[in-house]
Amino acid sequence: MLTSLPESPPAAPRRLHAVRALWLALSGRVARLVAAVHQAWRRSLQVRVVTITLVASSLLVGGFAYLIADKITSILLENAETDVRLRLSNGSEYAAKQFNLYSQPQEAQLQNTIDGTVNYLAGGDPTQTSGVVVAITADNFAEFIEPRTTPEVPVGTVIGDELRATVASGKVAHQIRTGSLGGERTKYLVYGSPVPTKFGQVELYYLVPLARQDATAADARATVVATGVALVLLLGLLAALVTRLVVTPVRVAARTAQRLSAGLLDQRMVVSGEDDLALLAASFNQMATNLQRQILRLEEMSRLQRRFTSDVSHELRTPLTTVRMAADLIFAERDEFDPAVARSAELLQAELDRFEELLTDLLEISRFDAGFAVLDSEPTDLVPVVHRVTERLAGLAERVGVTIELDLPDTPVIAEVDPRRVERVLRNLVGNAVEHGEAKPVRITLGQDQSAVAITVRDHGVGLKPGEEKLVFNRFWRADPSRARQTGGTGLGLSISLEDARLHGGWLEAWGAPGQGAQFRLTLPARAGDRLTTSPLRLVPADATVPFGGPRDGGPPAIGPGGGVAALTAGPAGGDHAEARP
Amino acid sequence: MNRRVLALLLTGALLPAALAGCGIPDQTDVQVDGSVPAAESGALNGSPARPPEPADSSEPVPFIENYLRAAAAGERDQAYARARKFLAAEARDLLPGKPQTSEVELTVVRLREKPESTPPNNQGTSTVTLKVQQVGVLRADGTLGPPVASETQYVFELRRAEPAGTGLLITELPNVLLASDSAMREYYRPRTVYFWNTDLTRLVPDQRYLPSSAPTERRITEVMKWLADRPSDWLAPGVTGLPDGTQLINNATGADGHWEINLNMPGANEQRLTRLGTQLAWSLSDLDGQVDLKIQNQKRLTVDLRRERVSTAAYPRGGDPMRFAVYDGAVRPLAFGNESRAAVPLPPAENRNVVSASLARADDQVLAALVVTGPDNRRRLKVGTGPDPVTTLNPGDRTFRTMSRPTWLRSLNKARPAGLVAADGRLYRFDGAGRTSEIPLSVPGPVTAVAGSLDGHRIALASGGAVFVAAVSVDGGVVSLGQPRRVTTLLTGVTVVDWVAENELALAGNEADRRSAIHQLSVDGAWETPLAVEIGAPVTQLAGYPGGGDRGLATFSFMFETDGAAWRNNPFDYVKREQVLDVPSGSRATNPTAPFFLY
Repeated sequence: MLTSLPESPPAAPRRLHAVRALWLALSGRVARLVAAVHQAWRRSLQVRVVTITLVASSLLVGGFAYLIADKITSILLENAETDVRLRLSNGSEYAAKQFNLYSQPQEAQLQNTIDGTVNYLAGGDPTQTSGVVVAITADNFAEFIEPRTTPEVPVGTVIGDELRATVASGKVAHQIRTGSLGGERTKYLVYGSPVPTKFGQVELYYLVPLARQDATAADARATVVATGVALVLLLGLLAALVTRLVVTPVRVAARTAQRLSAGLLDQRMVVSGEDDLALLAASFNQMATNLQRQILRLEEMSRLQRRFTSDVSHELRTPLTTVRMAADLIFAERDEFDPAVARSAELLQAELDRFEELLTDLLEISRFDAGFAVLDSEPTDLVPVVHRVTERLAGLAERVGVTIELDLPDTPVIAEVDPRRVERVLRNLVGNAVEHGEAKPVRITLGQDQSAVAITVRDHGVGLKPGEEKLVFNRFWRADPSRARQTGGTGLGLSISLEDARLHGGWLEAWGAPGQGAQFRLTLPARAGDRLTTSPLRLVPADATVPFGGPRDGGPPAIGPGGGVAALTAGPAGGDHAEARP
Repeated sequence: MNRRVLALLLTGALLPAALAGCGIPDQTDVQVDGSVPAAESGALNGSPARPPEPADSSEPVPFIENYLRAAAAGERDQAYARARKFLAAEARDLLPGKPQTSEVELTVVRLREKPESTPPNNQGTSTVTLKVQQVGVLRADGTLGPPVASETQYVFELRRAEPAGTGLLITELPNVLLASDSAMREYYRPRTVYFWNTDLTRLVPDQRYLPSSAPTERRITEVMKWLADRPSDWLAPGVTGLPDGTQLINNATGADGHWEINLNMPGANEQRLTRLGTQLAWSLSDLDGQVDLKIQNQKRLTVDLRRERVSTAAYPRGGDPMRFAVYDGAVRPLAFGNESRAAVPLPPAENRNVVSASLARADDQVLAALVVTGPDNRRRLKVGTGPDPVTTLNPGDRTFRTMSRPTWLRSLNKARPAGLVAADGRLYRFDGAGRTSEIPLSVPGPVTAVAGSLDGHRIALASGGAVFVAAVSVDGGVVSLGQPRRVTTLLTGVTVVDWVAENELALAGNEADRRSAIHQLSVDGAWETPLAVEIGAPVTQLAGYPGGGDRGLATFSFMFETDGAAWRNNPFDYVKREQVLDVPSGSRATNPTAPFFLY
């Protein structure tokens, strides 16, 4: 933009400043206006239709109006020209006859004859002429012949030099000129013709005022414009009305659809008439009804399924108790049987344990599904919880040759959690890690900050393939279905853990890469009911090789999609299901 | 979306502009519609004579003679301009600069003697003195009116032009625009136009002058203007003009035998237009062709000039002319060569003691008027009319001491013939019964001769030695004369006069050297040529035939009596006794006297 020079007087910069301010204010206002128009354009079908109709009809009507007005004008002008040309030709012929008597321009009678001829051609009585001016000039003989005009007005301004020159060169020519001959300014159609005489040439001019033609053309133009504008406005109005007729039901449909999608399944459109819009409304209503029925049916089915699971579990428990008591008796007496039966008694006992466990998990799941799970929060130090879980799994770890390493803070990590559920989650995670640890160490890390606590469980087993971070939380999912079950897990552990974490308003996430093992992270809010924003620990372990950069420090525990690296998170923000966070 | 907005804005801006732009523009370029071929320039069918210039002569007398020609040499409107070229700058105020066309009047003078000049004096100026006779004033309407000025001498002063050797210039001059009669003859041509008489039965000639350079179309224009204007002043009582307000609109146009005249004419009807056509046909008597008469641009009548002249005579021409003379007191026919002759249409009993006679034909009738001497030596009229021969002659009711030859007014109706005679110095009217009544006249001096023209509406008078012409009007059978107009002539003591052509008079009088002579004079005095000079004795009788040269006689035929003998022209000779026919045996041998024409 402009910059003021140091030499400029002080007023200049001030003015510049003012101009710049004005410009800014103006451009801001314009920008706002443009934005408003733009928004209206984008949002309103009616505005668009009306605008397009106005533009298109304006162009069309304008084109036609131009054509008509132009045609009227040219017809008027053409008529006038034909008329004058005829008069001029007659007049020129007459004048030529009159001047034929003279062979020299200085003959005195010639001037009289010119006067008489001009008078005659002008119609004799100057008071009765309709403004037509007739003039005879003799530019070649100006010293002998005075130019004569009837009525006597100075025509020099209206007969242009160019026309004069053209006529002097022996051509009949015409031109429209504006000038005032005694009165107000008027457009004149000036026609000139040379009059051949024996001594040379004089020039005859007709000056015909075009006031009447001009007024008529203006009238016609005004009528055409008025009609055109009215037509355009009418069309615009019509377009607005028609669009409104269509848009209003569409808007109603949109609103109804919004309500439907918000869960108000009994919303319906009003069907009036039998037209296309009524058909739309009827179809919409039908669709909504079908959708509602389907949803209700699905809900019912889901409810029945959950009910069935719960019922089956309950119904199985009673016979199982009986079987269990019998099996316990047999198992206690197994030493007295032959080895093969004893072995069977042991197997029976083990499978009954698993069965019981499975039933317990199923019941737990069905409690979650039914929404009966209740959080029993109390401030809890998580360090003992970790220790307890580690001790309980120490046997298993020892059996598979896995060492469990703990990375716990020295101070107590207090959070408002349900210790039973947290312990179950941890047991699940550590159990999984030990089970899939492939005799490599499993590391448990506990961290906290002001708003959240987090626990990560890292193993160095086969790891997870891309996409499996999500699948691990599915019910009855196994990384390798053919692999021999060593701990006798039910396949519901991680699902239950996820539900537990979600019940706390926390996250349970998984990370894994083939050959690099896996890490699970549980993040819980420090105070119950708080909303989680960050986690004190990183989901991706520091020793993991990441193809594209590292995880952002302090940011959400996110890993972009990349080869072999995946993350999954779960929490209240994600709604009912665990979802990938971008 | 941006494009749409742009289109919208463009439309909004362009539409009104386009509509405003499709009106009638304030100004356009010059558009050429075609071209007009140039007319061929060149001379017209007139003879534009080159006017004399001051440089044409460096001698005083020829210089003044050229000056006298200059005013007449060309367009009348520029006469002053041409004359002023001869003037020195200090003298230019003596002639007006640029007067109105109607005010340009040429004072026509006749030089009585060769101009005299004095040799240059010390200042190098010389004086030229002109002795002149005032002929008349050539007016805008082509008439030569009676003279206004009475000067008989004009004096011019000349000096050498600056630088020396380039000629002369006039420093002193009379403040009228002078033209000599010879210049008028040189540059003007007489044209006769015709007006209807008051009864609308015949046309009366009116003499006008037009520059000889005027082309045919101009002539038609001028003639039409003259007709639309009034007749000559002296002729006005005897004729009627066109309706008041008749006006030529611009010029008559046309060429090659077809012309067009556009007129304003109040009350134009069929009869008036037909009469105008006849008038035009005779007034343009040397043109053959067609004239379209338009009234206010409406073509009303086409006149074929020649056919019109053939079908309608301007006035009755009478019969073939025959010569008669008085021989031994009786009217006898004369025989010359193979000219037509006839017996005297008079009863022989009455054909005696005749002094002079006038016979005229009117259709199948003969009008006879004889002047006879009674026993008391007094003169008496004898008048008779009737088919040829006239059977009875009525003696006049009065006797006179002297009587001129009577003349018949040829315009009168057959039932009421009338004639004029000068008796005892007064003018008398007589009728078929011989009754005479005096006609009061305002002319100085006694009337000695009277002659009626062929058209019957003009008479020439010799009175007090001068010549007059007057119009005759006949109203209800009463003959009245208009104010006589004196015609300038070089002759003095004119005693007899008669018509020898439509507009020419023959008159006898004394020349400047006191000897008798017969001159021919135009009716307005502009042209005067001697017919017979050095006649020994005064001419006592003079008769001419005005009917032209197509009736067996040469033009300007006349006969006269002097010293008791009759003479004739063509060839010029006296009338011999043997040429008198029907002389009864036993007549005295004497000379034929008082010759006249019967026509």
